[in-house]
Amino acid sequence: MHTPRGTNGRAPDPFRIGGWMPMREYPETEPVDFAIIGTGAGGGTLACRLAEHGFSVVAFDAGPWWRPLEEFASDEEHQAKLYWTDERICDGDNPLQLGSNNSGKAVGGSTVHFAMVSLRFRPEWFKSRSKLGYGVDWPLDWREMWDYYTEVEQALKISGPVNYPWGPKRPRYPYRPHEVNAAGLVLARGAEALGINWAPTPLATVSAPRGHSPPCVYRGFCTLGCSTNAKQSALITWIPRAVRAGAEIRDLAMVGRIETNNAGLCTGVHYQRDGTAGFQAARNVVVAGYAIETPRLLLLSTSNRFPDGLANSSGLVGRNLMVQTNHAVWGEFEEEIRWYKGPPSLALTEHWNYDDSGKDFFGGYAYMSQGPLPQQWVATQTGNHGLWGEPLMRAMERYNHQAGLKIVGEVLPQESNRVTLADETDQYGLPVARVTFSLCDNDKRLVRHAVRHMTDAMRAAGGRELWHETDNTAHLNGTARMGDDPRSSVVNPDCRSWDVRNLWICDGSVFPTVGGVNPSLTIQAIACRTADRIRVLRARGEL
Amino acid sequence: MPERFPGYNVLQKRHTPSWDEQTRRVIDRRLAMSREPRFFTAGEWQTLNALCDRIVPQPKHRPPVPVAAMVDQKLTKNLTDGYRDARMPKQQDAWRRGLNAVDAEAATRHGLPFHAIGAAEQDDLLRLMQQGELDHPAWAGMPCELWFNQRLVHDITAAYYAHPTAWNEIGFGGPASPRGYVRMGFDRRDPWEAVEAEATPAHTPRTTPRHG
Amino acid sequence: MTRLSETDIGLLGAVALGVLAVGHRRGRHQQAPRRDKLPALLGRGKTAARPPDNRVAAHVPLDAAHVTAARRLNKSAGLLATSVLLDSAVEHYRGSFQNPAMITPLVSALLTLGVSLHGVGDKRSGAHAVRDTAYAIAGLTGAAGTGFHLYNVTKRPGGFSWHNLFYGGPIGAPFALAIAGLLGVTAERVRDNLPGRTPTILGLPAGRVMAAVSAIGMLGTVGEAGLLHFRGAYHDPAMFLPVTVPPVAAALLGETAVGRKGVDHRFTRWWLRLTALLGFIGAGFHIFGVARNMGGWRNWRQNLLNGPPIPAPPSFTALALAGLAAMGLLQDHPDA
Repeated sequence: MHTPRGTNGRAPDPFRIGGWMPMREYPETEPVDFAIIGTGAGGGTLACRLAEHGFSVVAFDAGPWWRPLEEFASDEEHQAKLYWTDERICDGDNPLQLGSNNSGKAVGGSTVHFAMVSLRFRPEWFKSRSKLGYGVDWPLDWREMWDYYTEVEQALKISGPVNYPWGPKRPRYPYRPHEVNAAGLVLARGAEALGINWAPTPLATVSAPRGHSPPCVYRGFCTLGCSTNAKQSALITWIPRAVRAGAEIRDLAMVGRIETNNAGLCTGVHYQRDGTAGFQAARNVVVAGYAIETPRLLLLSTSNRFPDGLANSSGLVGRNLMVQTNHAVWGEFEEEIRWYKGPPSLALTEHWNYDDSGKDFFGGYAYMSQGPLPQQWVATQTGNHGLWGEPLMRAMERYNHQAGLKIVGEVLPQESNRVTLADETDQYGLPVARVTFSLCDNDKRLVRHAVRHMTDAMRAAGGRELWHETDNTAHLNGTARMGDDPRSSVVNPDCRSWDVRNLWICDGSVFPTVGGVNPSLTIQAIACRTADRIRVLRARGEL
Repeated sequence: MPERFPGYNVLQKRHTPSWDEQTRRVIDRRLAMSREPRFFTAGEWQTLNALCDRIVPQPKHRPPVPVAAMVDQKLTKNLTDGYRDARMPKQQDAWRRGLNAVDAEAATRHGLPFHAIGAAEQDDLLRLMQQGELDHPAWAGMPCELWFNQRLVHDITAAYYAHPTAWNEIGFGGPASPRGYVRMGFDRRDPWEAVEAEATPAHTPRTTPRHG
Repeated sequence: MTRLSETDIGLLGAVALGVLAVGHRRGRHQQAPRRDKLPALLGRGKTAARPPDNRVAAHVPLDAAHVTAARRLNKSAGLLATSVLLDSAVEHYRGSFQNPAMITPLVSALLTLGVSLHGVGDKRSGAHAVRDTAYAIAGLTGAAGTGFHLYNVTKRPGGFSWHNLFYGGPIGAPFALAIAGLLGVTAERVRDNLPGRTPTILGLPAGRVMAAVSAIGMLGTVGEAGLLHFRGAYHDPAMFLPVTVPPVAAALLGETAVGRKGVDHRFTRWWLRLTALLGFIGAGFHIFGVARNMGGWRNWRQNLLNGPPIPAPPSFTALALAGLAAMGLLQDHPDA
C-alpha cells in the first residue's frame, strides 16, 4: 500500500469495509499544540488523550493505515508488511533480531502485531534500586500507575482472569478470560505439578462482543495482524478515538528531523509523505517511535546548539537499551496440541516475578505458553535448534504435538547497550540505526534459572524431547530514560525532556528498568498519565 | 516417508469460511509465481537449487515447492527482514558471495561445483559451514556460519514453509478467517482441520542438535 | 445487508414462536375452564377462589382440574426437554461425543419429549407407568450428568475455577434435564389423584409442590444464565434480564409454595407470563448474537457452537409455564 489514506478530511474507519470517518486536518504553517511522531502504544494513546483534553494534535506515522477486515490475510509471508523491514545494523555480543520480532511499522505501531499480553508492573519495580537492590528507581509512584493501568485495561476491555494470583488487588478485568488451549494447559499442568500458580493471560482481544468488535475466533494469526478486529490494537481503539476527538493522523509520513530555533525550542517537524517534503509547525513535539527510532530521530536532529542530538545533554539518548530475554523450552507430547489455535500466549505464570527466594540474580521473569505458526516455528527449529535437511523435515512434521514455555525476562540497563547512527542510509537518505547489545552476567543467570525451571515444568507436564533456546530477545526499551536528575536521565517523570521544554518522549524508550512483563500496558499507562500531566501543566501555565 | 496427514490439503478450504478474499488473492499470487530466476545467474541458480534440495529435501511423489524461485523473488524485490548482523553484508551481496563460496569450497575439495558432488559430500560441506569451519578466500570475511544460519537456512526454510504444500505436510490449519477454531483442547480437532494418520512414524534421530 | 435481514428473520421467528406458544396455551384450555384474565382485566374484582359456576366453559367438571394441571406440566417438561435436547446435541457435538455416555442425554431428552407429548394428549386420570419411567430416567440422567460435568470441571488444571466453570461442561445443563424429569414426575403425581378431591403430591398440597418445583428449576436456570452472561461480561444490558426477571418469578413461586392461603396471585401470574415471554425474547437475542459474530451465519459451524446457545432461553418459558400450571391448579383448588 503506497498512498496515504489520512487525507482529504477523512480517515479510514477500520470497522467498516471501505468505510471512512471524518478527520480534522491542520494547516502545516499554523503551529499545532502537539506534533506526535509515532502512533503506537505511546504515540497513539497520547494523541487520543491529548485530543480529548482539547489540544490540537497531528500525529505522524511512517507506516500505512491498514484496514484489517479486508487487508489482513491469513498468511505469515504476506503479513510481513506490518513490520519495520528497513534494515538496522545489529552488533554487540548478542546482536538483536528486529523486524517481526519487535518492530512494527503501521498506524497503531507495534500494537498491530503484538501478542496482546497486557500485564502490570510488579509495584516494587518502580523502586527497583531502593526496594530490590538493582537497576534504578523510576520517578513514578506505583499507586498512581495502578490507576492508569486500570484506565488502559478499561479502554481496551482486557479479557483476563476473574482473580489474578499475583500482586496487590486490582479491579476485575473488564472481560472474562479466553479459553485456555492445549498449549496453555501444558503450562498449567507444569505449574500445578511444581506447586506454583498460573493463570489465563490477560489479553487485549475480546472474549465477548465489544462495539463493532466480534469476539475472538481463535484463528491464531494474532501476531500477523487481526483480520476480525477482536484484537484491541491502537489502530482500532486509541486512533479512532483520537480522530473523533479532533486529532489528525498522517500515515506514510516519515519524520526525518525535529527543527529547533535559536532559543533552543522545537518549532516543528520535517517529514516526507507521498514523495513530498513537508514541515509541520508545532508548539510541542512528542517523539514516540519506540526505542530504536526515537533515539535515532533525536540523534539525527542535530544543530549548532545541539551537536550531539536533541535532549542529549546527559549523553544518554540511545543508551541503556534494554530488551527482554525471550528464551524458551520446547518439547513434544503424546497428545495433539495443535498450538496454532488461539492467541499464542493463553496461559502464563508470574511466579518468578513475585517470588525472589533462591534467586542468584536480580530481576524477574514471567513465562507463557506459545503457538508459533509454521514460518515462525521453522525459524526457531533452524536458528535456535540448528536443524536442517531430513531431520528438520521430520521434526517439523511433529508440529501438531509441540508445546513450549517462553520467558519475558528482565534485562538490566547497561549504558554500553545503545542505539547509534550507522554510516549506511535508508531509502529516505537518513542514516540507519546501529543497535549494539550484549547480555550481562545477571541477565544470563536469570536465563539459566528460567531454563532450568521451565525444563522441570515441561517434564512434569509430560513433555519429551525437551530442548531450549540459547539466544532470543523481545521488546525494546530504555533509550531515553526518565528520571529525577537531568544528568542521569533524558526526560522527567512527565516525559518532558530536560533540555528542551517543549520536547517530549512518550514510548518504551522512557523506561528506566524493564521488569519481567511485556511493556505495552505500561507504555499506554504512561501515555495516559502524561496526557493528564500536560493538562495540569497547561492549567498552571507551565506548558 | 508415509504422509502424516494423508489427503489433507488446505487449498480445499479455499471457498469455505476459513479463507477470505484477501487470502485467496495472496495465495493465488504465490502459487502462480514464475519458476525462473531473475536475480541469480545460471550458475548461482544451479547451486541454489542443489542447496535447497539439501536444506529442505522434498518427496518426489508430489509437485515440488518452488523454494529456489521464492528465494530468488525475495532477492529480486530485495525484501529485507528489518535487521542485519553487522558482520554480514546486505542480503543480495551476501547471497551471491555465499553461493560462490560454496562452489569454491566444493571445487577445492572435490574438483566439481556444489551441484555436481554427491548428496553425502554436500551435507558434509554444509555441516562444516554450520560449525564455522570453512575459510576459503571466497567468503571474503563473511563468517560462513552466519551466512549458513541467517541467509541460507533462514531464507530457504522461510520460503518452504510459506507454501501451502508445506502446511499440508505438517498438518497446519492454514488460513483461518473469518472461521477460526472451536475445539482447542488436547486431542481435539475441528472437522476442517487435518486428520493425523493412525500409525505415525517412530521418532527419527536427528543430527546432533547445536543446543539442548 | 444480508446479516441484518437474517437477524430480522430470526427475531421474527422468535416472536412468532412466542406468540404461538402463548396462543397454543390459551387454545389448549378451550376444553378446560378459562381462567381469569379478561374478566379480571375488565375489572370484575378480585379473582380470589371462585366457585365452579363462574367457569366460562362448564362442560369440564372440576374433577378434571388436576388432569389439566398435569397436562400443562407434561407440556413444560416437554418444552424443557426440547431445549435440553437441542442444546446438549450442539454442545456434545462440539465435544465430539468423546465420551460415549454423551449420547445419553440426547436419548433421554428425546424420550422425555416423546412421553410429554403423549401426556399432553392424555386426558385420563392416574399416573402412566411408561411416562413415569421415562421421567425418572430423565431425572437420573440429569443428576448423573450434573455429576459428570462437575467432575469434568474439577479434573481440569485449575480445578473448580471460574475459567473451568466458563469452559468446562456447564453444570446447569444436565440440571435442566433433571428438572424436566422432576416436572414430569410431578405431573404424573398430580394426575394420580382422585377426581374432585384436593390434589396432593406425596401428601402435600399439589399446587404448592408444583410451585416449589418450578421455583427450584427457575433458580437453577438463572444460575446457568447468570454464569454464562458473566462469562460474556454482560456486554449488552439485555443480558441482565434473565438474572432479574426470573429470580423474581422464583421468589413469587416460592412465596406461593410456602405462603398464606387465599392470596391474590394475579401479579405472580403476570410475572410468570413475562418470564415465559422472556424465554423467547432471549432466543431472539441469541439468534442475533450468533449472527453478529465474525462470519455470521455463513460461519455457522463456529458461531452456532461458540456463540450464545439459541435453545437455552426457552427453558425459562418451560419453567414459567410450569409455574402457571401451579397457579392454575391453585385457582381451582385453593387448598392445593
